[in-house]
Amino acid sequence: MFRTALLRSARQAVRAAPRWSAPIARPAARSSLLQAKQITPSVRFQAVRCYSASAGLSKDEVEGRIMDLLKNFDKVTDTSKLNGEAHFHNDLGLDSLDTVEVVMAIEEEFSIEIPDKEADAIHSIKQAVDYILAQPDAH
Amino acid sequence: MAAVNRTLRHQVIRIYKELLFLGREYPLGYDYFRTRLHKAFASQQHLTDEKQIKQGIERAEHVRKEIEALYYLKRYRALRQRYDKV
Repeated sequence: MFRTALLRSARQAVRAAPRWSAPIARPAARSSLLQAKQITPSVRFQAVRCYSASAGLSKDEVEGRIMDLLKNFDKVTDTSKLNGEAHFHNDLGLDSLDTVEVVMAIEEEFSIEIPDKEADAIHSIKQAVDYILAQPDAH
Repeated sequence: MAAVNRTLRHQVIRIYKELLFLGREYPLGYDYFRTRLHKAFASQQHLTDEKQIKQGIERAEHVRKEIEALYYLKRYRALRQRYDKV
């Protein structure tokens, strides 16, 4: 809705542009320059990004951020086992309470809130990455 | 039975999270608080009886209120000290 309104106003601006330049008597070479200048705003209109659009996180980025977060977590002693498939309990030696802390840290990192039920289902880095990717409002 | 256990589990996790949030402001530092909180919860992990778990949750709620009271007291003391010194 908002986008169509924007496009419409942009189109009108483009249509109006030649009309403004027409009454001004100027050499032809300059008027073409002037026109080009007035059309450029329409390009800028289209570049407007809707804030409701998803941030477009890539899988690698999400994974990297979660890994960094776990690297700084002092209970993870064996960082060599840290990879995209690592299981919190089996590979990293975290208990369920530590997992709660990790999920809390992930919530803060991506500025989202994970409901209890879903938070309880996250047991590995891969699950966390998949969950974040499925959230449109994660940042 | 399993459904009851799951809701209890969520309750335990919720109070754990709340306590962790509160612990960030703890006078002796977050790390001090976190290790102790973790130990306290881990020491109760053998509980399977519903009644006992509920008691544990109540205890955690009580601790949460105590910590809140501690923060209020701390703030009160800080304000009082500042106003009395003038």
